[in-house]
Amino acid sequence: MTAEIEQRPAPEGQGGWIEKRTGARELMAALLHVRIPVEARTLYFGGIALFLFGIQAATGTLLALYYKPTPDAAYNSIVSIMSDVSFGWLIRSIHHWAANLMILFVVFHLLRVFYQAAFKYPRELTWIIGVGLLGLTMVFGFTGYLLPWDQRAYWATVVGTDIAGAVPFIGDQLLLLLRGGTDVTEATLSRFFGIHVLVLPIALAGILVIHLTLVHQLGLANPKRPDPRDGPPQGATKPFFPDYILDEVIAWYLLLAILVVLASLFPAGLDDPADPLVTPEGTKPEWYFLGVYEFLKLVPRTIGILLPIVGLLLLTVWPFLERSPEVLMRRRIFVVVVATAILVFGIALTVVGFRS
Amino acid sequence: MAGLRRDRRIGLRVAAGLLGVGLLLVVAGTTFAEDPSPSPGVSPSPSIPPTVPGPAAPRPIAHPTDGSSNQCYDCHAAVNERQKAIADAWQGSVHGTGGVTCADCHGGDPRSDRMGIAMDREIGFIGTPSREQTVGVCGSCHSDPERMRAYKLPTDQYSKYWTSVHGQQLLTASDTRVAICIDCHGSHDIKKASDPTAAVYPPNVPALCAGCHADAELMEPYGIPTDQYDVYQRSVHGEALLVNADVRAPSCTSCHGSHDAKPPRSTEVVEVCGKCHTATQELYLESRHSELEQAAPKCWTCHGTHDVSQPSEALFFHPEPPQYLCTTCHDLENQTLRIELDQFADPADRRCDTCHHPESDIYAQVEAIAGSLSEAETAYADAETRIAEAADIGMIVSDADVALSEANTSLIQAQAAVHTTKLTLISETAGEATTKAESASDLAQAKLDESVFRRSAMVIVVALIVLNVVALYAVKRYLERTSRGSGGGAPPA
Repeated sequence: MTAEIEQRPAPEGQGGWIEKRTGARELMAALLHVRIPVEARTLYFGGIALFLFGIQAATGTLLALYYKPTPDAAYNSIVSIMSDVSFGWLIRSIHHWAANLMILFVVFHLLRVFYQAAFKYPRELTWIIGVGLLGLTMVFGFTGYLLPWDQRAYWATVVGTDIAGAVPFIGDQLLLLLRGGTDVTEATLSRFFGIHVLVLPIALAGILVIHLTLVHQLGLANPKRPDPRDGPPQGATKPFFPDYILDEVIAWYLLLAILVVLASLFPAGLDDPADPLVTPEGTKPEWYFLGVYEFLKLVPRTIGILLPIVGLLLLTVWPFLERSPEVLMRRRIFVVVVATAILVFGIALTVVGFRS
Repeated sequence: MAGLRRDRRIGLRVAAGLLGVGLLLVVAGTTFAEDPSPSPGVSPSPSIPPTVPGPAAPRPIAHPTDGSSNQCYDCHAAVNERQKAIADAWQGSVHGTGGVTCADCHGGDPRSDRMGIAMDREIGFIGTPSREQTVGVCGSCHSDPERMRAYKLPTDQYSKYWTSVHGQQLLTASDTRVAICIDCHGSHDIKKASDPTAAVYPPNVPALCAGCHADAELMEPYGIPTDQYDVYQRSVHGEALLVNADVRAPSCTSCHGSHDAKPPRSTEVVEVCGKCHTATQELYLESRHSELEQAAPKCWTCHGTHDVSQPSEALFFHPEPPQYLCTTCHDLENQTLRIELDQFADPADRRCDTCHHPESDIYAQVEAIAGSLSEAETAYADAETRIAEAADIGMIVSDADVALSEANTSLIQAQAAVHTTKLTLISETAGEATTKAESASDLAQAKLDESVFRRSAMVIVVALIVLNVVALYAVKRYLERTSRGSGGGAPPA
């Protein structure tokens, strides 16, 4: 079937008219008609994260039409979106759930790549850029969380920025930079909104293009055998389009169904309006910072801050630390066990944070 | 000996505080009672003894001084641990930090470190003042406007004290068991009343008073009940002050006074409660009840005294009609209306129908008042439940919350209007509350309906997605079949 598409001459009529003026067919052929190892198992995590980013861009744009980024108006504009704007509740709820799922699936994607050792030669740069994308996604979530300007958002941001303020040497400056002052105020809301809707989308989209270009250029990794240093990868392959794309689209559809169910049954909530003078009980940061938050309670503050930073740096440069060409988990057992232990510890801390 | 004195001081200090709580019953049930219409549960006193004027404030204790020496502290701090504790307590006290020295209360010569000179009775050293002396020692400075100006303190405590039941008992019966200044404020360790660790800080006052007034042995000679503190703790006032730490809530002194502690008279109780419940007092003064003067039901008739509880519709009627006697409301001898307050000692009897007979015209009005309030309260509760249901399923209910808040304001106004006993006013206000509550309920119902729509739409959308997935899966299977037919896996591109 692929061969048929490639060999068929450009149709006359409108398609032919566009083709003559854009050369799109050749571009699409270069993008889509590649082959991937039949043993590749991506579990579609990366594609789902990409799909969720698309959902966020679309719903975020719609929300920005009605949202007002000032402390006086932010809360009421969210109430209006949820109550007055047609399907505003759906747009906001999908944005809310897709944000959480996006972080989750970027983490899943990272874990899949780590356990399959897909970060090894020649994909080291793809990994580093991917870790950067995870960081940007979390900053996306952190900045977006404040925007409803309700009690939960306000105090989660107070706690979250407090963590940043505890970073040794640069904590005070970092806190000032994040908050735009000593407290979470209108200045914080303005800069979080600006970062959320201008800086991050452009940054993430740009880096994502590089990430995807590298994935396209290097192809999918084979979890059963490493890529040879000289010569092309070995083993049977299958077409990326339409075989893999079809599976991916089915996964996207299922994600869409999950989003619709979550948004309908558990619409995005709204607490009381933010009140800097009333600290609610049980103030805690968002779930993806809960592990670090709980860890801070267990160890001295400096260690609690430095260790996750060092861990993130190690994660970023991991392809240069684990240099053996082995990709099978049973031959990387030490690394796999240690990573799993850290992962379980992080999940346990998050669960404790939820219950505290 | 020293231990005995300390124990006695502690006992008396606590006695002073708790006396405030029990004064209501003290006055009614003892020889120096002066309230002709005491709190429920006690018999009225036949006569009100006149207040005996207190003595004039003595002059402050004179002693030589050079303006800075306080040898007393240096020596006493070195005598033993107990003396050191006293010296340190003084040093950290409001007196110690405010320049009031040992000699200002004890006399003597603070310039000398020789006992024979420093503690020479010839030059005015008085040692530990007696309990009778102590009031004068404190009053000598605290009634002096010139001295107190620097501290912005009032100067009427001394004169007020002698008008209190404590002062009167000390004055007329030389009864030194009653509370004097140091029993509430301490002696060497005196703190500002605004200091949360001070015994006289409002949330600490009930326990301070209870120190004496919950002591059955100490109260026995006066015939005063000792359960006021227990009762108060369970009241709405006690809960607000002691549990919720709301310092605006009344403690013993809020109703009984502090330096001038005595129970409010029947004629004063509306004013006393009205100090805080200003709006309710105004409504009550519009009522037919208030026009009855001496025979009028007062705040405590329906709400009690130390045991004030959250008002509810239960205040209208007994579950079963009570036994009515002519003497319930009438003094047969004088042919006048008379309310026997003993009948309201039991909270279960604080009901409108304790006085208003089911066959009376007023009873029918009470029924109408109760009915309109009940309707409003039911509508409010329904709205509250519906809003909670909508909120539980994640709907934004802020508009319904605002409507419910407005309904709550009207409901509170309607409940307060009961104090006017005016059926028309109460029905109108309760009707407003009902309408607003129904409006809030409608808003919440709209949310619930919206949720049903969302869930129905969700089912349709998910069904369409599943159809698409099935179609894509069918295409995938087709491609796999055709792919197998044309050779399948090829080497890498």
